[in-house]
Amino acid sequence: MLVYYYDGTFEGLLTSVFEAYERKEQPESILPPHASAGLFAHTHEVVTCAKKSERVWNGVKKIGGVLTCEHLYYTFLSQEEGFEMHFLRYCQHLFTCNRPVMKDLANADVLKVFQLSRKVGREAHRILMFLRFEQAADGTYFAPYAPKYDVIPLVTGHFRERFADQTWVVFDSVRNYGVMYDSKNDTVEKFTINDPAFDVETGKLQPDAEHPEEDNWQLLWRTYFKSMAITERKNLKLQRNFMPKRFWKYLTEKRI
Amino acid sequence: METTQKLEILSAAAKYDVSCSSSGSTRSNMPGGIGNAAKSGICHSFTEDGRCISLLKVLYTNYCIYDCAYCVNRRTNDVPRACFTVRELADITINFYRRNYIEGLFLSSGVVKNADYTMEQLVGVAKTLRLTYKFNGYIHLKAIPGASPELIKEAGLHADRLSVNIEIPSESNLKVLAPEKDYRSVLSPMSLIKVGIEQNKEERRHLRHAPLFTPAGQSTQLIIGATPDTDKQILSLASNLYHQNGLKRVYYSGYNPTNLYDSRLPALSAPPLRRENRLYQSDWLMRFYEFRVDEIVNDEHPELDLEIDPKLSYALRNPHLFPVDVNKADYHLLLRIPGIGVKSAKMIIAARGFRRLNSENLAKLGVVMKRARYFLTCNELTAATVQDLKPEYVRAILTSPVKKGRVPDAIQLNLW
Ligand code: SF4
Repeated sequence: MLVYYYDGTFEGLLTSVFEAYERKEQPESILPPHASAGLFAHTHEVVTCAKKSERVWNGVKKIGGVLTCEHLYYTFLSQEEGFEMHFLRYCQHLFTCNRPVMKDLANADVLKVFQLSRKVGREAHRILMFLRFEQAADGTYFAPYAPKYDVIPLVTGHFRERFADQTWVVFDSVRNYGVMYDSKNDTVEKFTINDPAFDVETGKLQPDAEHPEEDNWQLLWRTYFKSMAITERKNLKLQRNFMPKRFWKYLTEKRI
Repeated sequence: METTQKLEILSAAAKYDVSCSSSGSTRSNMPGGIGNAAKSGICHSFTEDGRCISLLKVLYTNYCIYDCAYCVNRRTNDVPRACFTVRELADITINFYRRNYIEGLFLSSGVVKNADYTMEQLVGVAKTLRLTYKFNGYIHLKAIPGASPELIKEAGLHADRLSVNIEIPSESNLKVLAPEKDYRSVLSPMSLIKVGIEQNKEERRHLRHAPLFTPAGQSTQLIIGATPDTDKQILSLASNLYHQNGLKRVYYSGYNPTNLYDSRLPALSAPPLRRENRLYQSDWLMRFYEFRVDEIVNDEHPELDLEIDPKLSYALRNPHLFPVDVNKADYHLLLRIPGIGVKSAKMIIAARGFRRLNSENLAKLGVVMKRARYFLTCNELTAATVQDLKPEYVRAILTSPVKKGRVPDAIQLNLW
């Protein structure tokens, strides 16, 4: 059994696709570092190479167009176990057919890539829905979140356009990094913090770091949220379907 | 009165107004401004009854000079009343927006003093948001029936959507429940808005930067079950509003029993939610599934079937159209198959360009085979369809409480 090891990056994965062609072989799985290949595996170490990955990516873009690129990139962001082989076979199918295969949904790999990219897209959309900012004492709007997939790259554009006149920070508390938007210079910067000024469990800023009016607005929002409910038609299951519980800890209206 | 208290009263009074959609507009942010309107709309939260919260939905005030029988805020009712100020409401909106709680504002109101005065306050809030706060998020204003054309026009310049509620599906019944009102006061602002939208489209064709006029169009709401109007009447009215008045949405609101002392109202114990739901499904069929209104309800079937959805009901009334061959049928026909939605119909068309589809493929594309199997064929060993089984029987299967694992492929054929 032939196993490829790659470094877990997008470029590394594209390099693996390249090498499968170059070496005229078909691996049975492509694994990130630290994954176990099993006892009898025959392994090949893929060394990430900018040139190789670029050639593959350009080929994908040329044949498949931007939408295909988006699907593949989203699939990568899903990080679902074993997604790499679907990724590889999708690319191979694309190069063999030499036309976009996105719609060939009866092909198992195409369908899988479509579904994974949809999952990631949906998660990104949920961030647009459920992200909640709190104003800090210095005026910055701060929002922690804990998404299933690493979707920061997919949501910054939206917030940048929408909240162009306020300085804001979005922080991924699972992956421990965030982006900061500076409204004066219209720049977005990536950063990591070791000692955050907020409570990771509730997302709340520490009292002295909070804007004096913040609590007031939060109280108003909770008031509104509560009074919108039609209690005679209570349906908590439906509510949870639309707004999964894993988002609740950072939701202003749901935390106590 | 404290703002919190006002918000409590004035949102509670607005919550039964069903339209909460923030979609259909594309307003982009401007330099130095805040906000934009996302094309597809975004829900930001869900209430305990599972409804989407997308907009700050409130009344400007619940004081009212009218006495409509079906309304909690009628002047003769003794309820707590409140009234915002323009500035106060604009502030709440902008602060909610900055925290990503909402997409914008949906503002309605009881009528204080007179229609024009009330409309002025609503327009005032929209203007403050747009001009003072440079807010480019979503604004939906209620046009107050009877307000002057100038005010309606001004409202249209700042709002993404305007709506005038018809409320009662026929004028004769409106006269019974709200003798002070008539259809004219609703229909004339409606046609004014329609004309405004058309002119604006024309203007923008020549002049790309002409100001927008209600880019998300207009909508209205009908109250269901407060009067004896039939589903046929209701849906025909809706169909006319879509086709003749160019409305974007018609909302149906199951009458929430209130003012029980008023003998002009039916004695309901709960709002007719099932019926409301069937009306929405029918509305979808008209807007996205290429159904004509008389295919859903007609003289022979003036009321919707509450037990099954209107699409299944149509299919069972028209068994001669089935089974449909999914590898050949056009989009229009695919959409008529129960268990196939807009998304899966499109996917079928895309995927069959690559290969013939079998039932396994269909299931993977999201077709609900449990339902669809009786109405389609894909040239495999054919299972029993609605043709072999008869509509009454298919109906019985699809409505019977789920008997897991006993789907009647083989068993039942010999019964007939
Ligand atoms: S005009 Fe509107 S708010 Fe006033 S009583 Fe009639 S329905 Fe209620």
